[in-house]
Amino acid sequence: MKKMVFGSFWIALVTALMVSGAAFSQDKFPSKPINVIVPFSAGGSTDLLARSVEKIWPKYSPQPLVIINKPGGGGVVGTEFVVRSKPDGYTLYLGYGSGHDVVMPHLQKMPYDTYKDLAAVSRLSVHSVVIVTGAKSEFNSIKDMVAWAKKENKPITSSVSTKAGAVDIAITALGKAAGINIVTVPFAGGADAVTALAGGHVMIGGGHPSEVIPHIKAGRFKPLAVALPERDPALPNVPTLIEQGINVHTWGSIKGVAAPAETPKEVVAYLDATFKKVCEDAEFKTIMANLSQPIMYLNSADFAKFLQQAYADYGKLIKELNITIQ
Amino acid sequence: MSVFDGIISGFGVALTPMNLLFAFLGALIGTAIGVLPGLGPAATIALLLPITYSIPSPVPAVIMMAGIYYGAMYGGSTTSILLNLPGEAASVVTCIDGYKMAQKGRAGAALGIAAIGSFIAGTVAVVGLTFFAPPIAEFALSFGPPEKFAIALMGLLMAVTLAGESISKGLIIMVLGLLFGTVGIDPISGKSRFDFGVIELQSGFDFVTIAVGVFGIGEIFYNLEQEGAAEIVTTKVGQVFPKMADWVQSRMAILRGTLVGFFIGIIPGGGAVISSLVSYALEKKISKHPQEFGQGAIEGVAGPESANNAASSSSFIPLLTLGIPGNASIAMIFACLLIKGVTPGPFLIVEHADVFWGVIASMYIGNIMLIILNLPLVGIWVQLLRVPYSILAPVVVLFTMIGSYSIANQAFDLYALIAFGILGYLLRKLKMEAGPLPLAFILGPMIEGTLRQSLLMSGGSFSIFFTRPISLTILSLFVLFVVAQAIFTIRRSSRYARAQQTT
Repeated sequence: MKKMVFGSFWIALVTALMVSGAAFSQDKFPSKPINVIVPFSAGGSTDLLARSVEKIWPKYSPQPLVIINKPGGGGVVGTEFVVRSKPDGYTLYLGYGSGHDVVMPHLQKMPYDTYKDLAAVSRLSVHSVVIVTGAKSEFNSIKDMVAWAKKENKPITSSVSTKAGAVDIAITALGKAAGINIVTVPFAGGADAVTALAGGHVMIGGGHPSEVIPHIKAGRFKPLAVALPERDPALPNVPTLIEQGINVHTWGSIKGVAAPAETPKEVVAYLDATFKKVCEDAEFKTIMANLSQPIMYLNSADFAKFLQQAYADYGKLIKELNITIQ
Repeated sequence: MSVFDGIISGFGVALTPMNLLFAFLGALIGTAIGVLPGLGPAATIALLLPITYSIPSPVPAVIMMAGIYYGAMYGGSTTSILLNLPGEAASVVTCIDGYKMAQKGRAGAALGIAAIGSFIAGTVAVVGLTFFAPPIAEFALSFGPPEKFAIALMGLLMAVTLAGESISKGLIIMVLGLLFGTVGIDPISGKSRFDFGVIELQSGFDFVTIAVGVFGIGEIFYNLEQEGAAEIVTTKVGQVFPKMADWVQSRMAILRGTLVGFFIGIIPGGGAVISSLVSYALEKKISKHPQEFGQGAIEGVAGPESANNAASSSSFIPLLTLGIPGNASIAMIFACLLIKGVTPGPFLIVEHADVFWGVIASMYIGNIMLIILNLPLVGIWVQLLRVPYSILAPVVVLFTMIGSYSIANQAFDLYALIAFGILGYLLRKLKMEAGPLPLAFILGPMIEGTLRQSLLMSGGSFSIFFTRPISLTILSLFVLFVVAQAIFTIRRSSRYARAQQTT
């Protein structure tokens, strides 16, 4: 009898908790759509990633994501907007780890502290830098290219997406390590740089897999190397620079999510867990494979550590290469 | 599969009820945003992208987006003609004679000829797209930095000729436009210029802000002080549709504009703008009455409007055949295709024949829908001029504000819009034609960037411009035009001097 009373007490308690839990979840995060700021133009590789996440997100969360493009200042304008937003988890920054986070602070003064003012949520992807040449080129490997430059004593011209961007730094570093003169010609974004190489206006070029793989498949470009520490899963047959005897690697272009620094821990944990589910989703994997963007999920803590290392490594590289924008 | 089999199968795809509906939606939305000043196709497509996620097939989504893009080109001429408000870069030229026509009570004729010209140009360009896409795409690739430099320089020369009678006034406005174009991060060195520590300035000014401010807002400020004068402009509506004589006068301009637009439109980046400029300059040069240009010449509307529509269709060629997006709107369509699992490029026609031919077929249908939609609307738009200016002006300002904010979602652009409005007002007071300003703003950075890219490619040698056949040809034409203009000006002034001596 006593046991039964006790039993019903527990049932009542659990029911009460469940009801209050349900009532509480009205205010539980997220109770309204989440704004995701992409600090680059619509249609670029970061925007494509954001829109792919946007498509899958509602499967795992009661509230949708709303993508807002705030381009400008190489990404600084949109990022600063997030830094100055209310830290409630309803304003996120997608693209954390881009050039203006890991490269720009080494070159110029920033209006905010990228690492203190933002909290890492999840890493979603890393876009490697692939070095390519035209299909008709006589270069079939980095070795061919270095041999040609040394024999002819002529500079190699290379199209790059932006000055002091991930591609520019990787190719400048390659030239320095190989002891040859590579002139990088900056364009207004990856698509422009790829077009210049496709027209044969430069000798080599670099780009993220999503930008160059369609042209490699079409037989217009030949891949020469990947500038990551390890091979890119999107291009498993293309050797790294290190494999080809050039001791250079970069961290490519890192694409993660960040929230304003003061965002509550449990909100960040919820967001991170949901991004993880998105990254493990089969449909998301198909979309990302089609975009040639590898999924490289890391949780909040590991992503923060990874960023610190990438930031320090880029700093070293920039000092060694003596890159300045002044 | 031959081209004929392909296009027939394409019509099979495009004529299904679902795809017809989406083509219609695209045409309708495109017309609407074209008319609303400041709202551009790229922002609209970005906004509508999430809706397309729920449609399993990529075909209807792309049909709709393509419709929005070329539909906006149809609608874009409306505000240029009625309110002196260019919705996008390619409509700036239309303002010059279109707005003058409206002031003379010929708004209906201008709108009508713009719609008919757009229809003819759009359709002819799609025929070109159907039959010659691959070889034309290869031709587009041969335009590297030196060629783009030459063509942009040519565009700048033509922009100055828009200035009307005074070349020196035109040059002053041009330099102003070039200066505004230098604000922001310099793409070659990565250094930010003239930002005065303002982060928003690092990304430079936006074209829409400048064009809408200088033209539209400036015009409204100017009209505010013209008590009564504005009323006259707004009540004179005139005949709604173009007369037979208008049609006869502009049919060759439409044809030439179409050809110019089709070929220049394929060059990625700025193709549509330059093609509208080239068309205008061409019409003015070969016209029997060049003095009417700038005073409401119908060819000055028909040619450039046809050119920008042909260009919007031919700009699909690099996307569909090479996988290269040429401008922001096309980049959004590119993104949509990729997310849907379709990679635009050389394999599109093989791997996704339904997308390739379906979209092309839908463009024939879309153009027909647009002309049916737009011609009767001309009558309605013209009535807009009957709205009292005290109501029309604030509404226009409101819409331009929303449009400018939507570009980068930042309030800074609103202040910039007002500042450019004040500039436009001052230019109007000084009787200076503002046309070259937004055009120099677009062409300046193109000239600077491609010049420096070319010199990086050549190791600093200017010979790169004269050893490549295409750039050599264009630059020779440039020199020829400048010399011809100089001789013409000197002769005229010496004749003028002689005439003065004899009197």
